[in-house]
Amino acid sequence: MKKIKEITTRLEIAKKNINNNQKNDKSSNAASLGKALKISTELVAAVFVGSTIGFLLDNWFDTKPLLTICFFFIGVAAGILNVFKSAKKMHKKI
Amino acid sequence: MATNPMHQFEVYKIGPEINLGGINLSFTNSSLFMVISSALILLLLFFGTKRKSLVPSKIQLVTEMSYTFIAKMINDTAGSNAKTFFPFIFTLFMFVLFSNMVGMLPYSFTVTSHIIVTFVLAAMVFIGVTILGFVKHGIKYLELFVPKGVPMALLPLIIIIEIISYLSRPVSLSVRLFANMMAGHTMLKVFGGFVISLGLLGGWLPLGFSVALTGLEILVAFLQAYVFAILTCIYLNDALNLHH
Repeated sequence: MKKIKEITTRLEIAKKNINNNQKNDKSSNAASLGKALKISTELVAAVFVGSTIGFLLDNWFDTKPLLTICFFFIGVAAGILNVFKSAKKMHKKI
Repeated sequence: MATNPMHQFEVYKIGPEINLGGINLSFTNSSLFMVISSALILLLLFFGTKRKSLVPSKIQLVTEMSYTFIAKMINDTAGSNAKTFFPFIFTLFMFVLFSNMVGMLPYSFTVTSHIIVTFVLAAMVFIGVTILGFVKHGIKYLELFVPKGVPMALLPLIIIIEIISYLSRPVSLSVRLFANMMAGHTMLKVFGGFVISLGLLGGWLPLGFSVALTGLEILVAFLQAYVFAILTCIYLNDALNLHH
């Protein structure tokens, strides 16, 4: 009889833990959606900024398509760096 | 005209035109809704802190929850020495949140669906954080652009990439908020237009969609305010505690 009581209390505690874990999962769901939205724009923004800088420098030095193309690729690299950095930050938190 | 999904983003002036030195400073519907959301924040905080009872009323609970939410966020992401910036981040979060939420009401105007508004907010954060970094660390703040352990030959390229990555912060911060708000509101309007044009027979499906999308939009409105505030905290952290 004693054993059954022990098992029921253990079961209750285990159930409570599972419930708590599920609650935590729900709250982190919204946060991870926010992170996903964050990363997608970071990639695009760096490409945009890089190309704009290239375009401005082109107008300045009169080397029409050259610098825009160069800085476009540098912008892509910066975008990937951005994503890499924020992914690293996320990993640290977990 | 009423079914044009972009019509809701039109800015028009209310009252007389004000011109100061060639700059048009007229009061617009955008300014009106900024005033409304600021007034709502002030009212909430005023009534929330008016009667400080041990067992809080609903409005006091909301105020206290928003306080602890931001305070905890700053502590977790930027460290305890960023506590001095609490008023700034709290104001930023509340303003973005209330502008987004007021924009969810029918017949209202979403202030944050214009890139100039979000860009000014993001530029304010960006310039402020950069100045703070230079004040705190002096010329050493430029070390942010020089990662450790990079061979000399690659350094010029890496520095350019790091500078572009740094400059892209305000753009990504502002475009994210603006694009999410504008896309969401346009989509709601498009589905609303479908309900009208399909009539009584086929209009039920888009109606269901717009109900679901409204729920999603409220989530996005909150989430974007949260992301805006947390990124400000992360940038503050970079400026205050200089390391990689």
